[in-house]
Amino acid sequence: MSNISTEKQERNPRGIPKAPFIAEVAEFLGPDPNPENALKEFQAALAKYRYMDQNLAQRRRGLEEKIPDIKKTLSMVEFLQERREGKSPANDEDDLDDDLDDDSNVGKPLTTTFELNDTLYAEAELEDTDTVYLWLGANVMLAYKLPAAISLLRSKLEAAQTSLASVIEDLEFLREQITVMEVNTARVYNWDVKRRRELREKEAQEGKTEAAKVG
Amino acid sequence: MASSSSPQPQQVNVTDLDVPQLADVRRQLEEELSHLSNSYTQLRQAQAKFRSCIENVGQVKPENKDKTILVPLTNSLYVPGKLSDTEYVIVDVGTGYYVKKTRAQALKHYESKVEFIRTNLEALQETITKKQENMNYLINVLQMKLQQQASGGKDAKAG
Repeated sequence: MSNISTEKQERNPRGIPKAPFIAEVAEFLGPDPNPENALKEFQAALAKYRYMDQNLAQRRRGLEEKIPDIKKTLSMVEFLQERREGKSPANDEDDLDDDLDDDSNVGKPLTTTFELNDTLYAEAELEDTDTVYLWLGANVMLAYKLPAAISLLRSKLEAAQTSLASVIEDLEFLREQITVMEVNTARVYNWDVKRRRELREKEAQEGKTEAAKVG
Repeated sequence: MASSSSPQPQQVNVTDLDVPQLADVRRQLEEELSHLSNSYTQLRQAQAKFRSCIENVGQVKPENKDKTILVPLTNSLYVPGKLSDTEYVIVDVGTGYYVKKTRAQALKHYESKVEFIRTNLEALQETITKKQENMNYLINVLQMKLQQQASGGKDAKAG
């Protein structure tokens, strides 16, 4: 019989159950103490916490890799957008300072060195286009107009950053709960050891008094 | 005992070693063997990469000059463009140096790399085979010793 009922447990924002801190072991275990059961449940909870910890650590690593990549892609698309805006002043309504634009940029296509293979690079000329192609993963690549691409990348970046923040928060919360559980396990175990010792001593005492009575 | 420090059992008389030591040497040989096999696989992979580089260089040819290609700007961003320079490519020759070579020079460079790896692979293969033979010999001696022990033990019990 254990008092670890899941309905009364608090959970953190993302549904990780909070570990109960046992202020008083005897009170926690109740009138019919079953320390072995309690210890078993603690171990099970600890195993779950540790598993979640591993998962979150993995997710965090993945996110930390993706975020710089998204940032780079976003800044590239923004750069392309700027160049394009610089090259088509006639299409814009309120561009007053385009006459002061650097003429060498206008009308000259962009040459870039790109990666053909791990150790092999080649030169190419970028066409003047308003469409970029974004690799979304899982063999999916979509074409986007520049503004749509920029807003998509921005939202992806924000989502990734928020996820990362919440994953880090969860990891810290988990660390706390794991420590609490380990402390609980230690305290229940020690309490049990003490109780057994007291019981043995009491029985030894009673044995002696009975022998004294009989004898 | 010299057995723990000698890498090749033939230099010490293997039949002098007793069973736990033989097991030790065998474990050592197995570790070395797996390490060598790993290195072999890695060399193979590197060779495959260089071969694909050769193919890629072949793609950067004048006939492809005006075809539209998708140019990768980052890991997930591609922009349509055209090959601007079909004579030169840039090759990473290691330690942070990038060299602009003609296609022919780049081809030669990658082919010599592939050749170099091939000679290394051959030498490595020989070493692996020799180690394998050593290990087989060792296992034979180990089995003989075990049989001896088993039969010797039986005699001792019976007698």
